[in-house]
Amino acid sequence: MTDAVARESEAALLDLAGLESLESLALIGLSKNAGKTTILNHIISAWQASGQTRPLALTSIGRDGEKEDIVSGRPKPRIYIPSGTLIASASGALHRSDALLEILELTNIRTAFGEVVICRALSDGYVELAGPGATKEIFGVSDMLRKIEPDCLFIIDGALSRRSQARAGVSEAVILAVSAATSPVPEILAEKTAFALSLLQTPAIGGKRRIDLVNAISENPTARGIVLNHGKKQPEVVSILLPSLVGFGQEISKEMHKNTDLLFLRGAVTDLVISELLRESHFVDLMLVVQDGTRLFIKPDTMRKLHHRKIDLVVLDALDVRLVCLNPTRSNGQLLDPQPMLRALRQKITHIPVVDLGPSNL
Amino acid sequence: MRSSVMITLDLLHQVGLPDVLEACHCRSPQGSRLKKAARFYDNHARDELTEELTAIGRITRLVRIKHPQLVEAQTQLSRLRELRGTFSRLEKGGLLDDTEFFELKSALAIFGRLSGLSELSEAASVCFEVTADAAALLDPGKKRNPAFHIYSEYSPELADIRSRKKELEREISKNKGAERKSLLIKRAHLTAKEDQEEEKIRRNLGAELAKWLPQMQHNAETCGLLDFRLAKAELAVRWAGCLPELRPQGEPAALVKVRHPLVAVHLEKQGLEFTPISIEIRKGTTVLSGANMGGKSVALKTVFLALLMTQLGYFPVCESLQTPMYDFFAFESGQDGDLYRGLSSFGLEAVRIRDHYRRSKTKTGLIVMDEPARGTNPAEATAVVNALSKVYGESGSSFLVATHYSISPKPGVRFYQVRGIRPEALEQFPGHLHEVQGRHEAVDAEPAAGITSLAQPDLREDLTRVRRIQNLMDYRLEEIDGVHSIPSGAIKIAELLGVDNDLLDEMKAAWQEE
Repeated sequence: MTDAVARESEAALLDLAGLESLESLALIGLSKNAGKTTILNHIISAWQASGQTRPLALTSIGRDGEKEDIVSGRPKPRIYIPSGTLIASASGALHRSDALLEILELTNIRTAFGEVVICRALSDGYVELAGPGATKEIFGVSDMLRKIEPDCLFIIDGALSRRSQARAGVSEAVILAVSAATSPVPEILAEKTAFALSLLQTPAIGGKRRIDLVNAISENPTARGIVLNHGKKQPEVVSILLPSLVGFGQEISKEMHKNTDLLFLRGAVTDLVISELLRESHFVDLMLVVQDGTRLFIKPDTMRKLHHRKIDLVVLDALDVRLVCLNPTRSNGQLLDPQPMLRALRQKITHIPVVDLGPSNL
Repeated sequence: MRSSVMITLDLLHQVGLPDVLEACHCRSPQGSRLKKAARFYDNHARDELTEELTAIGRITRLVRIKHPQLVEAQTQLSRLRELRGTFSRLEKGGLLDDTEFFELKSALAIFGRLSGLSELSEAASVCFEVTADAAALLDPGKKRNPAFHIYSEYSPELADIRSRKKELEREISKNKGAERKSLLIKRAHLTAKEDQEEEKIRRNLGAELAKWLPQMQHNAETCGLLDFRLAKAELAVRWAGCLPELRPQGEPAALVKVRHPLVAVHLEKQGLEFTPISIEIRKGTTVLSGANMGGKSVALKTVFLALLMTQLGYFPVCESLQTPMYDFFAFESGQDGDLYRGLSSFGLEAVRIRDHYRRSKTKTGLIVMDEPARGTNPAEATAVVNALSKVYGESGSSFLVATHYSISPKPGVRFYQVRGIRPEALEQFPGHLHEVQGRHEAVDAEPAAGITSLAQPDLREDLTRVRRIQNLMDYRLEEIDGVHSIPSGAIKIAELLGVDNDLLDEMKAAWQEE
């Protein structure tokens, strides 16, 4: 990848992802080291280059921006921000930042790296982002940032974990980062990415059933699962209180019978959860609703089984994926030729642009 | 508090003290800490308690007129953070980070704002030290905004490094590739210098601020005190509490129209009203007797809570209250046995009876017992309660006891009873006999099978009946001459609840024989 191509992609980045009209954006990685931080750096420099007047406000779910990846020990790209950018990051991470940061507010949100602090950069420079761990806290941080800069573009660098994915509702749009770590074989990478994308973009439930479900959820805010049974006038609501989804397939199935037409599950829905449900005969011909596409951790085979059982998989909140970014680096650090991968990806993914932004210009 | 208040945790919950603390809403960590410490004011701290209570009294006046300074104080107090960690680092000469400086800057701003609320500070009888000069240390550019960073104003060297760095950053933003890389390396060198200079400043700034540590610590504690007193005043207004009058040792406690705030709230939710009670407790023994369902237990808890709240520096919930200061409080309930631990209830009771008695020999206590020795055979129990009444009757402590057993008049023993159900009220209890018939049939019906049917009788009708009897009950206390003037009312209640006539006749006959 030459600098020229990279620059071209970068300039087009804002248009491709439609960033100028967004209030918030989340970066989701398909694997560890998928290149989210690199994308963030590209967005920052594209934002600056295009002379945007709205400030950026950055945070991460979990930790990000360290010099080295904590897991693999390989160097990680740092985040270089322009003066005026707001960040929400743990006090421990601020020590390792070299931009001149003015502390504006303390959030009372504690992380392993200290309390999350709201700062404004008074100079350009490197920062390390280590934001809150929970979605609820991200909402709090978002509110605080918006109070300071109502007009900002709020970007969440989402870490890869089931607990802390950047979720629907937190951000308006999503950029998906994929790398050769998922597979160095272009066709397999394309296959896997397309499938992951289809999960992320699982359509949202609509119509009257959506209203019924939303009401049932607000009445049972702690329920792990909610079953809606077909009733004469109003659907019958059964809420299921469980410590987790895994291992409780039987308890969930117990609540379903032939009038059941909807099952809502809160939390990560994995192959194991689905296989437990598939064992039960009533788990058939119904609508399975999860919170959003980031909660789905299932393989194509499981998807097929659901299809056979006439299970219609939908989400409560649809994710608006704007862009797929490729990082042609394997997990061992080897840089591959991006072109065959881009070709394969573009063949499979036709409705969303796929780009390689190249290494960030640090 | 532990050594001065002798009560099991379970009973303390029943009395309602934890709920009182819960309802007293402090806004700062400093205030909450004071509340949690639950300081018990004994007679040695009489002056401090007087000051505490009068301060709360003055604040209640501001609360009632919704004084504008209160909202400001509440806002400032809710923004105050726990500062002990930062203070301790400052004290030990540790290097503070920007977050900690920011925390101190915010705290100093809060101290400044609160000390400006002169009417409230005066009412609360708190006094802030002037820390404006410490605040100025954290705002060298006199920007007067709440943000903080290591300002360039702290040193010309720092200002110089930063202006060179800024120049470099401007270059960096214009360049790409190799040129940018070399500029970034230059910047890294400057950043290292900046770090060094910043550290020097942090150290100096810490040392300067450390000189203000006593004043800052005093102000943080003052915030806690103000917060706690304000919270207690708000509670007093919400619950219509009164300023208690502290009497000299040995004088009687006089409680007028005292209410249990939490029971009252509970009743209000059901559309009912708590009947306030009045009682005088002299040194010696006060025996409380009266009808079953007459609220004796509630009365004991209400009195105990009001007097305990007073000595914890809260306003008791009553029309007026005068009290001496007790050295210790003790509350026992015969119901307090522990079925599952397999401990004998009277065994445990005996231990506590022993302890309280020993303590009362050297100290003046308020010892409250709800039906002591209830698990023992009536003859012996009567002896136990009579003995307790006699020895405490001659002691300097106040012994308040609710009992069904007959206590003979002795020196130093006074008697109160719950008024109970008056005959005229009974006439309002309509057609119970008719309803009783209906109940018979329900009992005759085929019983449902299974163990759950044993535990779930249809109680709805009976609960209504019990509630109706409660409505007839006059819960007020009245002093009587000593001899049990009325039966406990158990047979009457059995009758009202529709116990069959043959059984009722047997009960009445047996009572006549007694």
